[in-house]
Amino acid sequence: MMPIYKLENLKKVYDERTVLDIEDLKIQEGEIIGLVGPNGSGKSTLLRILALLEKPTEGDIYFRGEMAVFEENKHRKHVTMLLQNPFLLKRTVFENIAYGLRMRGQVNRLTEKVNDALNMVGLDPGNFSGRKWYQLSGGEAQRVALASRLVLRPKVILLDEPTASVDTASGRIIQNAVLKARDMWGSTLVIVTHDLAWIYGVAERILSLFRGKLIKEVPENILAGDWRPYGKGLSALRLSDGQFVIGAGSLSPDSVAILDPEDVIIGLEKPAIDSALNSLRGTIIEMSLENGTGQVLVKVKVADRLFTSVVTGCSAENLRLRPGTAVFLHFKASAIKWMRHS
Amino acid sequence: MDYILEGIIGAFQLLLSGHEETYSAVATTLKVSTLSITACLLVGIPLGFLLGYRNFLGKRAIRAVVDTLLALPTVVVGLLVYAFITRRGPLGEMGLLFTLRGIAIGQFILALPIVVSLTASAVEELDPKLGLTLKTLGATKRQVALSSLWEGRYSVMVSAITAYGRVISEVGASMMLGGNIKWHTRTITTAIALETGKGQFSMGIALGLVLLTLAFAVNTTVSVLRRRA
Repeated sequence: MMPIYKLENLKKVYDERTVLDIEDLKIQEGEIIGLVGPNGSGKSTLLRILALLEKPTEGDIYFRGEMAVFEENKHRKHVTMLLQNPFLLKRTVFENIAYGLRMRGQVNRLTEKVNDALNMVGLDPGNFSGRKWYQLSGGEAQRVALASRLVLRPKVILLDEPTASVDTASGRIIQNAVLKARDMWGSTLVIVTHDLAWIYGVAERILSLFRGKLIKEVPENILAGDWRPYGKGLSALRLSDGQFVIGAGSLSPDSVAILDPEDVIIGLEKPAIDSALNSLRGTIIEMSLENGTGQVLVKVKVADRLFTSVVTGCSAENLRLRPGTAVFLHFKASAIKWMRHS
Repeated sequence: MDYILEGIIGAFQLLLSGHEETYSAVATTLKVSTLSITACLLVGIPLGFLLGYRNFLGKRAIRAVVDTLLALPTVVVGLLVYAFITRRGPLGEMGLLFTLRGIAIGQFILALPIVVSLTASAVEELDPKLGLTLKTLGATKRQVALSSLWEGRYSVMVSAITAYGRVISEVGASMMLGGNIKWHTRTITTAIALETGKGQFSMGIALGLVLLTLAFAVNTTVSVLRRRA
């Protein structure tokens, strides 16, 4: 199947600083993608490029097999993006939702379409249609903003922290509405969110960005900090509670360590001491089921840091893991990989 | 002090009795200001929009000139336009001096910088998220530009009304270009100046009350619109 997006050797540079550097990325039509990564990792830049609002400095982006056009709305009219902070036009709720359709000249059964979109985001058309933009709460405004995108039945919906600035109830409605759009029209969803429990539950693929690069399609453990030589070709990072993370390999001052969650094993007891083996004491703070794989993502707090591990549903059950359980994280020093600053 | 009291009482008598000369000045003011402000908006809004919306070489310099022209003294405008439309001037043959159209030209020049500058500011002050939002809703470049102007409509209206306030209350250009001809080019402000000079306070005060009412209406509208903008 032809991917809806294909990105090749894509780079975005601001003031000689590379903020995005993606060698190869394909997104299939109808896919639900979660985009995670720390602040400043390039998530929003990637979203703006996928929304065809911003041109990459280098590289190619194909939309449904065609070279993407940024200047006109040929491809952009199939893509829509919901911003983090609700923003509405200075018009009534009805006119806000009808705007995109009017711009496309699709004014047939306008009222019916607008009402359907309002219903999708849980707002009663009779009560809300005629309201002015300033007569809405933050959560309602964000739902209207979403409705104005859903009414277009877009091929792609990009969401940049859509629930970060709204109340929990509105957040839940927004999450359900975008999933419904995917089910009804096969819209592709690319979602940036801090609501990890939700995104790991619904996404078919998680893309993890770090310093502009896709590091893996599951969340990596990123261990930045003051790594020091530890002798015998090893390096160590001291955590705030005095425990050490030991990594194999020499390092340069700007090194950052990455640890694949699949290399981290969870145990309830501390094993026999082995200099090559890390054994960190921590507490489980969050567990979420990864969509489709049956695997469980376990977030463990060790000192002031969070480590992620992946376990099978079966072993999570056998070990009786649950938030609050004290555990040990085991991983080899050679599991630590080094990444240089871009 | 009695003459002031008598003036006020006389003013109400003039207004209530429909005194023709008083109302002629009011009608002339409304006529000429409508003419000048309409022309000014037709030219000023597109110019102001371009100045605020587009980026081009020399934009800052133009902006500085326009902002300087906000403080243009009315008598200087009167003088300049007079020089052009007087019989000996380059536009003398058009016979514009001492006509309503002559006054309207002066008022147009006075109001244009206000409309251009405030419209440009209105467009510049639009939320950056607006353009992004319009694009994500699939608007073309042209639709984004027109919708941006529409989204700034309350601020643009403020510019129009501010300019109108300036036009109805100016006296220098109207006096110099209109000649203050009774029943013809005598406006509220030129009539007040003349009647006060003659010691006829009643008509001056009556016209002053009309002017204040207009100014009050203008300001109220501006403040209502500002809240929307």
